[in-house]
Amino acid sequence: MAERSNRNGVAYSLTVIAPIVAGHEEELREHIESLPMGPDDPLARLGSLHFSRIQIFSDLVYQGEPQKHDALKGSHLVFTSSFDGDLSTYLAAICDRLGEDADGWWRHCAGYPGTADRAAFERWIRDHQVDSSMFSVAYPQATVADVLDSLALRERIVEFAAAAQSAGPEELQRRFLAEFADR
Amino acid sequence: MVGLTLFTPIRPQWLWMLKIGFPIARRLAFQHNRVLQFEFIHYVRWSILRRDQLKGEQLRYHYLFFESNFDGPWQHYIDAFAYVIPRNIRLLWGRGPAFPYPPPAEPLKDWIAMNSMEGGHYYCAYPEASTRMVKGALDVRERFAGLVEEAGSLDPEAFAAAYERFLADAQAGL
Repeated sequence: MAERSNRNGVAYSLTVIAPIVAGHEEELREHIESLPMGPDDPLARLGSLHFSRIQIFSDLVYQGEPQKHDALKGSHLVFTSSFDGDLSTYLAAICDRLGEDADGWWRHCAGYPGTADRAAFERWIRDHQVDSSMFSVAYPQATVADVLDSLALRERIVEFAAAAQSAGPEELQRRFLAEFADR
Repeated sequence: MVGLTLFTPIRPQWLWMLKIGFPIARRLAFQHNRVLQFEFIHYVRWSILRRDQLKGEQLRYHYLFFESNFDGPWQHYIDAFAYVIPRNIRLLWGRGPAFPYPPPAEPLKDWIAMNSMEGGHYYCAYPEASTRMVKGALDVRERFAGLVEEAGSLDPEAFAAAYERFLADAQAGL
């Protein structure tokens, strides 16, 4: 049931919330804030990851009357991912492709075993997983590879259409077959 | 691309409604479509976090965790939420303490700003692509596969006609 609620099409939504070891919050915050963005982002190495967010929350927002104030005893690390495929494969990819990078943020969490012990890592992640109640996706059947390939193809088609607009039928077909022989 | 994360308390009396409502809504395509109809949301999730689920804490309330990946910034789209699907929004958050109960949109924007979890690290595999661009490109690719398949077997005149038809049909995605 829970596994199904985390899925939509080929996509899986993972939410992991883990308590941060007392006194580690600032070091962890600096580490997260200094992670590289773009192609150098370690998360880019996963390949199957559409979106991810890593955040610390230390306070719960007081909504005002009539709510009674909820105060946290400690800070928590929230890690979310929307990726292609199943959870076990994704966690294995984290061990294989991120390794010490993933340990860089989770090692500040209580009881974290590290990615070197794959079985313990998966158990720890599942133990801290919060299932999605509802997960909606605008393009649920498209993998990351599908999206990137489609966006790149779209660019190629636009460029080809602009370059070939004055070509006659024979030249158009010849150029088309040469340009898109790989498709 | 922007990620919006909200973590807000659920009134105890409202938990049953969400526990029943989410599994039903999950199975109904039109409920997904209502949220995704504006074409600026890529991925969106809601999770109920039970008050005993946050390790090491003793909370009075259950919490609703919400994460959305938008074509940002989010302020531009709250009007659509507040005026086009206010009933859905009210059903989800309407029994949370201090929720402003839209419309109008301005109190909802203030409430989101108050509850938005800022900072941290954000990753997107295709940060420059809007939802519309992604959906359009996927549609173009599907149509294009048909053109490629027949391209070599047509005579030049027939190919040119098929190519023009493809451009006309795929125009919205290009």
